[in-house]
Amino acid sequence: MVIIQIVIIAIALGLLLFVFSGKQTYTVRAWKKIAFCFLIFLMIVAVIFPEMVNQIAHLFGVGRGADLLLYILVLSFIGYVVNDYIHRQNEKDVIYRLARKLALLEANSKLDIKNKK
Amino acid sequence: MNDNVAIIIPVYNEANVIAGVINDLKKKFKYVVCVDDGSKDGSKVEISKSGSYLVEHPINMGQGAALQTGIEFARGLPVDYFVTFDADGQHRIKDAEAMLKELAKGKYDVILGSRFLGDSIGMKISKKIILKMAIKFSNITSGLKLTDTHNGLRAFNRIFAEGIQITLPDMAHASEILEIIAEKKYRYLEMPVTIEYTKYSMEKGQSMINAINIGVDTILRKFSKW
Repeated sequence: MVIIQIVIIAIALGLLLFVFSGKQTYTVRAWKKIAFCFLIFLMIVAVIFPEMVNQIAHLFGVGRGADLLLYILVLSFIGYVVNDYIHRQNEKDVIYRLARKLALLEANSKLDIKNKK
Repeated sequence: MNDNVAIIIPVYNEANVIAGVINDLKKKFKYVVCVDDGSKDGSKVEISKSGSYLVEHPINMGQGAALQTGIEFARGLPVDYFVTFDADGQHRIKDAEAMLKELAKGKYDVILGSRFLGDSIGMKISKKIILKMAIKFSNITSGLKLTDTHNGLRAFNRIFAEGIQITLPDMAHASEILEIIAEKKYRYLEMPVTIEYTKYSMEKGQSMINAINIGVDTILRKFSKW
């Protein structure tokens, strides 16, 4: 059970750093796509060769393949949630900047009208 | 009449008290800027009637965002000094004037109000405990040593006003401002202020559970800066 504990904790921490490191450069986005494709590939393999998942699980010291899948699922889900949160915060920031620009434009144009009168 | 200062007030649903607050300020200060943060009550009408400047957020964006908007608008006014003031009437004009006097000496860029150096009339003990914890937390994240980190009364000069960019929309902006002060090495001073906790301001005030949100947002930002 030791190997899997180390691997999962390492991945979890890596995920945390990876997602938190804010800057959504094209390299980061590309790696996300690669990871996604890899996940799909794994899923297909797992469906075709169910026994293989069990063997891989044993390799890592996990009792059943289903458990291993669950671990991966939970990790991907946490990654998704955090990623989505950061993404939404960034979008909110953009909207707020836009709204502020609008508010200032409006206030300043009112000011100009008042000054002209 | 002081015409070298812009008072900046973020307003969200304060129709009952905002007119009184503005009227008191208008007696002393020429430039009062209110940022209506998408209020759903009659705040906008009250501000329009009061003869202060009104900047309207099209949507509710939070106090931090409203402050930033107010500061950006006030940069365009012919003033050297700026004061942020709460809309609910819990701050005293006297305190703001004392802070401005100190600021005018030119030794500091920003002066922060502290209710723990001064008086807090009617503060609940539960609020005090949470606030003290927030102060500890904020001092750790910003690296400054302050006695009050979430006070809405601040006075600052043009260097600070031109340099500041608040990105956190909600209450977490208070910690963010301190981090900006630490990062850009602005010269700062804390001065005692008196806060009056009326029944009104306590009902309106921050719900204590919100401290969790502020904390998480502050930590998240630390991470994303790496």
